[in-house]
Amino acid sequence: MPTKSKLYRKEMIYGYLFLAPPVIGMLLFTLYPMLYSIYGSFTDWDGLGQMNFIGLDNYKDLFSDELFHKAMFNTFFMMIGIPIGLVLALLLAMGLNRGIPGTTTFRVIYYVPVISSLAAISILWQWAYNGDYGLVNQFLDLFGIKGPNWLANKHTVKPAIMIMAIWKGLGYSMLLYLAALQSVSRSYYEAAELDGANGFQTFRAITWPMVKPVTFFIVVTSIIGGSQIFTEINIMTSTGGPEYSSASAVFYMWQKAFGNFQLGYSSAMAVLLALFIFIVTLVQFKFNEKSSGDLD
Amino acid sequence: MAKNKYLISILALIIVFAGVLAGCGSSSKDDSKSDSANSGAKSGETKNLTFMFRGGPDEQKAYTAVIKKFEEDHPGVKVKIVTTTADQYATKLKASIAGHSVPDVFYYDPGDLRAYVNSGVLADITQYVEKSSIDINNIWPYGVNFYRYDGSVTGQGNIYGLPKDVGPFALGYNKTMFEKAGIALPDKDKPYTWDEFIKVNQELTKDTNGDGKIDQFGTGFNVNWMLQSFVWSNGADWLDSTKTKVTIDDPKFAEALQYFADMQNVYHITPSVQEAQTLDTYQRWMKGEMAFFPVGPWDMSTYEKLPFEYDLIPMPAGSTGKPATWLGSLGIGVSADSKYQSDAAELVMYLTASKEGMEQLVAAKVQIPNLIDMAKTWAADTSTKPANKEEFLQVVNEYGRPIPGTQTYNAEWYNLFFTDIQPVIDGKVTAADYVKSEQPKMQKLLDKAIEQEQKSKK
Repeated sequence: MPTKSKLYRKEMIYGYLFLAPPVIGMLLFTLYPMLYSIYGSFTDWDGLGQMNFIGLDNYKDLFSDELFHKAMFNTFFMMIGIPIGLVLALLLAMGLNRGIPGTTTFRVIYYVPVISSLAAISILWQWAYNGDYGLVNQFLDLFGIKGPNWLANKHTVKPAIMIMAIWKGLGYSMLLYLAALQSVSRSYYEAAELDGANGFQTFRAITWPMVKPVTFFIVVTSIIGGSQIFTEINIMTSTGGPEYSSASAVFYMWQKAFGNFQLGYSSAMAVLLALFIFIVTLVQFKFNEKSSGDLD
Repeated sequence: MAKNKYLISILALIIVFAGVLAGCGSSSKDDSKSDSANSGAKSGETKNLTFMFRGGPDEQKAYTAVIKKFEEDHPGVKVKIVTTTADQYATKLKASIAGHSVPDVFYYDPGDLRAYVNSGVLADITQYVEKSSIDINNIWPYGVNFYRYDGSVTGQGNIYGLPKDVGPFALGYNKTMFEKAGIALPDKDKPYTWDEFIKVNQELTKDTNGDGKIDQFGTGFNVNWMLQSFVWSNGADWLDSTKTKVTIDDPKFAEALQYFADMQNVYHITPSVQEAQTLDTYQRWMKGEMAFFPVGPWDMSTYEKLPFEYDLIPMPAGSTGKPATWLGSLGIGVSADSKYQSDAAELVMYLTASKEGMEQLVAAKVQIPNLIDMAKTWAADTSTKPANKEEFLQVVNEYGRPIPGTQTYNAEWYNLFFTDIQPVIDGKVTAADYVKSEQPKMQKLLDKAIEQEQKSKK
């Protein structure tokens, strides 16, 4: 073992010292609660005191819990917004990348929702969706369309929340795409032009593969975020919507845990949701590995 | 060497983790140390209490003022106030319980009483109440009974808190609108029958400016808060007397629910279909476009500024011929872990049962008096709005009932009823079909709640 200089060791210690706060934070506020929750999912923990080991009972109950199935379905359903948001963001980014006047202004406009508080936005949209006085219906009224009472109708409540989520996330995805587009070397496009490629071919063979890592990143983070959707639902439809049509998995978990003293049961749901996210992400990584490197 | 580096980082992780655990351990040791130090505290030392509550801006202001007064009257006691919005309160309280840092004094929903007592969260304050100068018989018995529990039944036994207030839900009407329409004012002592109620509403539902759109409505009730009145006054209920069976499949229940839905779908005395969201109807009432709307004591400060005169009447009466409504309450309890239980109990009594405290809260128009003698004087004064405050007292004394969901270990079964109800309100499903299909689902959840309660007692 080669001896190291004093300086080297000193730097190493400093290095670990700098690492310590986030690591401690992770252990204390993420890993410990997570492990505790996994343990809790095998108990009848009520959040007050009692915590008896009951094996897999919670998981068994989940299989026949209609509301849980409904909440999971709603959560998946609202993820339909992810590809829509993706396409819109890419289109916007490509538009803004052409150097049209006012690019900065548009970027700011699209980015404002991203930095706004989700709770505040939810309240604003709740008003906008109001059946009587809401902006959305007033706007539709201009075209002679009588809009529904968005949040009180079980068929429109999920699309309504999706639209809001897309609007809120658009700026973020757009900015990522814009950065990716700007880093694509001009020479590819010039070569394509010389070869006589049309716009669509250029997009399919150059732009799309070049921004693929960003697409991958956005899809992964959106699915993780989408699985955990809660605030919008809690604020806009505080009872989970008509016939529980907008309740998400996390919303149901929260109701069970903090409304009905069933923290153990909620933990079981949380574990299942985490497993789901984990598997989906894993599949995506595998898929990405396989199909990456198209351009080489 | 690479291997070595890897080893070091693992070592570092272990050390960090051990440090974290040690940190936790030592901090709890410190706590117990300070515990013993405080219990032997001299009288000169400041006692710090934490009080957690919720409420609108008016209410927060009123309570903060009363607490300031309490601190003046009790030198050596400092109260730290923690407030949250109404919808975040339950989450925050339950998180604090799970984290073993329960505030010394806090609001809690009477529905949670059994869970909190069974698991040792709430302190028994009977001895403090008995020793104190307050006269428990001068507080609404109905309100106090909410917070008594003998280990199996609520309503009797030891006291685990006192009512912050009692919240009678009465019916308000727009007096100005009646006078303009030349319709006889409702009788404050004789409730409308259901038929009469529809009739008067139909007379008041009209297009006042001739643009072809209805802009004045009879009413627009939120099913979550108004259905109880119709069900009960028709002789039905959600639960049987043993609180173990869901009884919504009673035909009288279905009749009341159908009547409620028909107000919108058949009689058209409310704003159009799918507008059960209160925001709309509440705004219409505030603008003077609605004849009837429910009024709770907490509304009084806001309704002061209404652009019309309003007053209170009993809820319309169904087949029993008697009005019915619910009477809510919110309790103030003391944490079983509080270091200063007697001072904490003192604060509870100051807020709920002292003349000084109550006078300030009533003056702020955020609640009706808890003290019976004070309430009588308060109601007798008909010069302040609403004139018929007596109606509130009648609800408290005579015909108010607790919300069924608060009568069981948790309210999951009860909430399901309202989660699924929209199709009935929209007129797509009949009440009779709905109660039949919903009863088994609710019963299943109620059985689960009962089972949970049994477990929590062990």
